[in-house]
Amino acid sequence: MASAATAAVQPLDRTRARRKAAWRRRRLVLLLMAPWLIGFSVFFGYPLVMSVYLSFTHYDLLSSPKWIGTANYRYLFTQDPQVGQAVKNTLWIIAVMVPLQVVFAFGVAMMLARARRGAGFFRTIFYLPALAPPVAATLAFVYILNPATGPVNILLKHLGIEGPLWFQSPSWSKPSLVLLGMWGVGNIMIIFLAAILDVPRHLYESAELDGAGPLQRLRWVTLPTISPVILFSVVIGVIAGLQYFTQAYVAANVASGQASQAGDQTVNNLGYPEASTLFYPVELYQHGFRYFNMGYASAMSVLLLVVAFTITVLIIRNSRRWVHYVGSAK
Amino acid sequence: MSATTAPAAAALTRRKLPASVRRRRFLLAVANHSLLIAAAIAFLAPFVFILLTALMTNGQALSEHLWPRPFRWQNFVDVFHQAPIWRWALNTMIYAVLATLGVLLSSIPVAYALSRIRWRGRNFAFGLVLIALMLPPVVAVVPLYVMWAKLGLVGGLAPLIIPSWFGDAFSIFLLRQFFLTIPEEYLDAARVDGCGELRILATVVLRLAKPAIAAVALFSFLYTFNDFFLPLLYTRENPSSWVLQIGLAEFRSLHQVQWNLTMAATLLVMAPVIIVFFLAQKAFVEGVTLTGVKG
Amino acid sequence: MRRVGIGLLVALVLGAALIAATARNSATAGTSGAKADNITIWVGWSAAELKAFKGVVAEYDKKHSDVTVKVVGGINDDKITAAIRSGKVPDVVSSFTSANVGQYCNSGAWIDLKPFLSKDKIDVNMFPKTSQYYTQYKGKRCALPLLADVYGLYYNKKMFKAAGLTSPPKTMSQLTAYAKKLTKKNSDGSIKVAGYNPFLGFYAGNAPDMSAYAPLFGAKYVDGGGKSVISKDPAWSKMLKWQKSLVDWYGYKKLQKFNAGAADEFSASHAFEIGKLAMMIDGEWRVAFIQREHPSLNYGTAPAPVDDAHPELYGAGYVNGTIIGIPKGVKHKDQAWALVKYLTTDSHALAIFSNGVRNVPTTKASLTSPDIKPDARFKTFLKIFANPNSKTTPITAAGNAYGSLIQAFAVKWQAGHAGDLTKGLQKLDKQIDAQLKQAQAGGVP
Repeated sequence: MASAATAAVQPLDRTRARRKAAWRRRRLVLLLMAPWLIGFSVFFGYPLVMSVYLSFTHYDLLSSPKWIGTANYRYLFTQDPQVGQAVKNTLWIIAVMVPLQVVFAFGVAMMLARARRGAGFFRTIFYLPALAPPVAATLAFVYILNPATGPVNILLKHLGIEGPLWFQSPSWSKPSLVLLGMWGVGNIMIIFLAAILDVPRHLYESAELDGAGPLQRLRWVTLPTISPVILFSVVIGVIAGLQYFTQAYVAANVASGQASQAGDQTVNNLGYPEASTLFYPVELYQHGFRYFNMGYASAMSVLLLVVAFTITVLIIRNSRRWVHYVGSAK
Repeated sequence: MSATTAPAAAALTRRKLPASVRRRRFLLAVANHSLLIAAAIAFLAPFVFILLTALMTNGQALSEHLWPRPFRWQNFVDVFHQAPIWRWALNTMIYAVLATLGVLLSSIPVAYALSRIRWRGRNFAFGLVLIALMLPPVVAVVPLYVMWAKLGLVGGLAPLIIPSWFGDAFSIFLLRQFFLTIPEEYLDAARVDGCGELRILATVVLRLAKPAIAAVALFSFLYTFNDFFLPLLYTRENPSSWVLQIGLAEFRSLHQVQWNLTMAATLLVMAPVIIVFFLAQKAFVEGVTLTGVKG
Repeated sequence: MRRVGIGLLVALVLGAALIAATARNSATAGTSGAKADNITIWVGWSAAELKAFKGVVAEYDKKHSDVTVKVVGGINDDKITAAIRSGKVPDVVSSFTSANVGQYCNSGAWIDLKPFLSKDKIDVNMFPKTSQYYTQYKGKRCALPLLADVYGLYYNKKMFKAAGLTSPPKTMSQLTAYAKKLTKKNSDGSIKVAGYNPFLGFYAGNAPDMSAYAPLFGAKYVDGGGKSVISKDPAWSKMLKWQKSLVDWYGYKKLQKFNAGAADEFSASHAFEIGKLAMMIDGEWRVAFIQREHPSLNYGTAPAPVDDAHPELYGAGYVNGTIIGIPKGVKHKDQAWALVKYLTTDSHALAIFSNGVRNVPTTKASLTSPDIKPDARFKTFLKIFANPNSKTTPITAAGNAYGSLIQAFAVKWQAGHAGDLTKGLQKLDKQIDAQLKQAQAGGVP
């Protein structure tokens, strides 16, 4: 009798115990996730929604937002004389800097992987510039590439070459920024190095046995094996390119040589020279925080969001064709 | 049969390669090394130039001379007289330390929940983390600024520090990837001992995940130390809140500023990071590798 | 578990405390004190110039025992806007960017001062016309001028003598001729000494929105209705063509190299001060700088040369200045106004302050005040300021945004990348009008 009673009680106890455990687990998860849930809503979700709302208003922070419908977008797509240039500049920097950085980082990593002696020493040297704060690095490069008194042009002069105007020339300013970017590939290079060293030896050996030369081993063994890392670098590079701001801001301010006090709005150097360093985030900053045209800046940020999302999705979807995850059946 | 092939195989690998192959390999190694040296020179050159300029007089910095004559070590002291470097450094430290602390304290629990506890909606939440990772923060900038302005906090470091206490997508991602690699046995052993989940997190997981946590702390510190955009946005109009990066960028705008001092200041700003790197080299490299390989 | 929980809590509390401690180091808003009222004034000056301003305020404090004034320096417009937005405003604000008066008046961010002016029977004509213009917008007067900047010609007397020139140039053609005569080149063709550097963006006198040159050619930015007339005003094409021809004479790339090697504008190695530049158009503050840094420099000042076709403009120059007003939301309006009135209308205060920072005092009376420390070279600028043809750039409800558009075109033009001038200017007009419309949310600029 007692056993029957206990047998009847037991399943109920068990479900109750299970439900209690589940409840406790859910409470625990909530506690653990709480900071991020709040953070995501307040610092990500809310701004996203607000950005869309503000993009349909005229808002200068001094009076409340005034609804103007799609006027901001109309101006953005048809009338703003600077935005076209800003978009072109950002696309240029992505199209040029990302491949160059990836290839350069890969090349340096290959050299390091091959070197037997002193690899650690060289690795440190190549990584060091990546540690330099972007502001400091940009200042340094603007000085070094000064067309009149910078060491680079002086050295070139000794070699009989007339150096270009670097940051002072609209056609050389972006390449100068690319040089700066390539100086700082240390982070990506380290990742490539680790991945290259991780490629299983036996793959090389079997390729060699099949008669593959070094170039073919590179093409058919190394590259496919490290392709996830290549994808990672490309995605990171594109996202960074879409947000490219600090180096452009500092370079334009310093290279233009104009002493603009913080907050001085009569001197506008951004994009120097001739809007060649005016990237989309720089233009956004200008509209939102120099002209305090916040509704319009919100419209610009919504556009950036859409573009960033689209490009990222495109890259990732396209990657399925050439990225080879080790261990997964192809 | 295997007994006979084994010594034969051993003999095969130890047999010397033909001279031509050895010579080619040697030449390739030399070529590789020369390229490395050339690249190393190119990478180090900017540092050298900065240092040389930092030791020049102002007149020399604007001339065509490359070598300082005489060496003006005084510049490094003058920099401190020209600008409130200590104040900037203090602000930078406040920002970096508090933000890093916040990132760690808020991201570790989240990463743990996303990796070692099964619950409904976990994958969805992780997807949100990925989305937050991919999209440019520039997009959120305008409404956030408005929010902080309404709260009256623009001009100080609060808008920079507070968000770090509510999780950081990158750190969550990194920590989660690492936590996934912890063998369940360790956790099960602790559970059997009667530990609650939080206790497991605090004791077992933290101890096992030290390299990942160190990496996250390092990255967070580095990121906040180098940060320019957010301090520009929120403290540009308030010089007493400037961090080192803002101060350095505005260094040339202050009256009576010269390139030689600017370069000296640049070196001073670069120095702490490089020093930290040398002290924590292993953690650095491991951390960077973690992001790429596990990513 | 409890240990972890408490630990987290403690950390959070500590963090919050630290954040509160690092909160914005701002001036407190005007408090409602019962006894001696405290009022706060925000100004843009810093360092030595702030000291001079504080000296003026100290005199005011002595004369008015019922008020104590707290001075906060280093302020700029971003901070002013943020303060107004958050409601924590000082009692008096001042800004270097007179171009923003349109925004401040239009949005009501700075309150209308007309009732105060009429109550104290102050006639705005005590201020020169230009200063009157850049302190109001469409009749709404929300600011008053507090010291102005005036641009004129600086020329190196020693170099003039060596080249056989006796007096400063009065017309643009003279300027061009003198510039060519005074220029010296190095053996490799690079510029050693520039007679006059017309490169847009080089030092303040070459502001790329052409603001320093516009009054010298009589060039108009907008018509009476606020529409951009740059393509319609022949003075603009004349001005741009003159500028480009001189740039081309030097060589665009050579000038860029010269600029890159020139020292920072506010450093002691300023190109004019060390003899690398024979003539330049610059603001009146340069007199004080030269006095401090190179007192032995043999130079003179004069009004800037003008267009040959408009000799009647000689004596005029570009003017802009600091503006001062009362933000909305202030409690001690009357006391704030009393301070504003003293600072802007009292000849003695203006003269003392002008001596301290060597900017131009902004009332007709103070221009001839005996308190001004005499300086022959500074006097030039006082005269230019009083000249009726001296102008400032148009005030719009969108600040100086149009200046950026002009700048974008002008620097392209100077580099030879702008194609046909007339077509380019017409496009520029359209852009400016569209931008103003956009900044106005579709309203009339």
